[in-house]
Amino acid sequence: MKATPSERKQRIQFEPGHISRDGFLGNDRRHIHDIVEADRKALERLKISKEQVADCLQYFIDEGKQGMESLVDLGKYTVMVKWDRGMLPCPFGQCGLHHKIMVTVTHKEKKKSITYSQLNVHMIRKHGFFEGRGGHFRLDPDDIVPFLCLTPYVRSPE
Amino acid sequence: MTMQILNTVLVVTAMNAVLALVLVIAERFLANYGTCRIVVNKEKDLDVRGGSTLLSSLGSQKIFLPSACGGRGTCAYCKCKVLSGAGPVLPTEQALLSSEEIDAQIRLACQVKVKEDIDIEIPEALFRIQEFQAKVAVLEDLTHDIKLLRLNLLLPDTIRFKSGQYIQLQTKPYNGVKEIAQRAYSIASPNYEKQTIDLIIRLVPDGICTTWVHQYLQLEETITFIGPMGDFYLREGDGEVVMVAGGSGMAPMASVLMEMAKNKNPRKVTYLFGAVSKKDLFYIDEMRNLEEQLENFTFIPVLSQPDPKDQWKGETGLITVPLAEHLKKIDSSTSQGYLCGSPGMVNACVKMMKENGLTHDRIFYDPFA
Repeated sequence: MKATPSERKQRIQFEPGHISRDGFLGNDRRHIHDIVEADRKALERLKISKEQVADCLQYFIDEGKQGMESLVDLGKYTVMVKWDRGMLPCPFGQCGLHHKIMVTVTHKEKKKSITYSQLNVHMIRKHGFFEGRGGHFRLDPDDIVPFLCLTPYVRSPE
Repeated sequence: MTMQILNTVLVVTAMNAVLALVLVIAERFLANYGTCRIVVNKEKDLDVRGGSTLLSSLGSQKIFLPSACGGRGTCAYCKCKVLSGAGPVLPTEQALLSSEEIDAQIRLACQVKVKEDIDIEIPEALFRIQEFQAKVAVLEDLTHDIKLLRLNLLLPDTIRFKSGQYIQLQTKPYNGVKEIAQRAYSIASPNYEKQTIDLIIRLVPDGICTTWVHQYLQLEETITFIGPMGDFYLREGDGEVVMVAGGSGMAPMASVLMEMAKNKNPRKVTYLFGAVSKKDLFYIDEMRNLEEQLENFTFIPVLSQPDPKDQWKGETGLITVPLAEHLKKIDSSTSQGYLCGSPGMVNACVKMMKENGLTHDRIFYDPFA
């Protein structure tokens, strides 16, 4: 997909050093719409909505906050939240500011961890954007859905 | 047929080229705002080149408004009164301005573009904020993710500030990060040290400025900062001072305490410092020294999850637990609360202080957000 001038301008916000050190695209050269569309299709195949993913990720942030940077045991998972001062704007623009909250969730049995930010949760919920391939906090739907043990929906929420 | 297609392609290409040229010319003339005048407090006239933000236009004239986020429209520290010439309030400002502020003509200087003459009001105190050049004298690890950065001032070579205030450090481009960023850090050294300042900087994952400090900044390098700024300093009073901090939130507390020690301040101070385990603790010797110099000062480090290897015998648990116990023992009608650290910790402690009788006007913190 070819980018319009305003899309090219917007893409700059996703690049390293604008909102975050590493940006949100990793080494992904695809158009942002194509990244979103590919992940949408992956979620559709898995019968999981982006809201389900965002709700679950937000749950870990809310629980982890209470630990004030220490490890919180949630049974199957442990979670650790680091909350630094300052706010981050969304690279898509015009959708508010987001706390600099970074969370690491570990699946105790699988011995696997994921790390993401409060901004990631917003971008998944509002824009269906899971970051580009190779992105610092890329949450690939094919990895994140089994990690979070989400239950597929019976009927499409669309 | 082929000629017809070629002709059509040529005509379309030529039309596109003409349109692009028209756009370039239009941009050059229509987006050229020429010289605009900024009238500050009805007494200072500044002539600036139009088209930039009010924040950067003022900065180019060496008038620095606080801006913890470096002009990204996220901290709302650069609020100022714009009497005329700013145009309508932008959507990017609305989230950070109350309706009372909008009615009072308050705007975010980082979002307002100078496109015509503009009339503003700013507090006189802001004229004391200066740009400094300084050399990196010390850059050492305090913990696994916190560094001490000591700067020797070059130009100007001295600074006047209130212990507890902050500065805005300016990064340089590095490793793919092309733009200069500015971030706020509290001064950790006391105000009687005028030729150097200490900063305590924790590495923020994916952070632009903290990565630069931790991984790219070199000893002897010359850097730029702007300051001093902020309203976090010790207020007058006789009541107990209750300090709560975590991580790099140690900085303003250390600054205030060192000044108190120098002045032999007799006020009672209790300082609760939160960390996860012993590897996150630092400045312990400095705090114990201050306990010896200040007869009414008590320092209480609190570990939320000490490692068994730590053999920790001090306070354990979330910092809110010993804070609640302490607040129950003191006269909350005269006490003051000072907080610095992660917003989660600050929010929880502010709530606890209010529940225990400290009123909002006696609780102080710099949210930097």
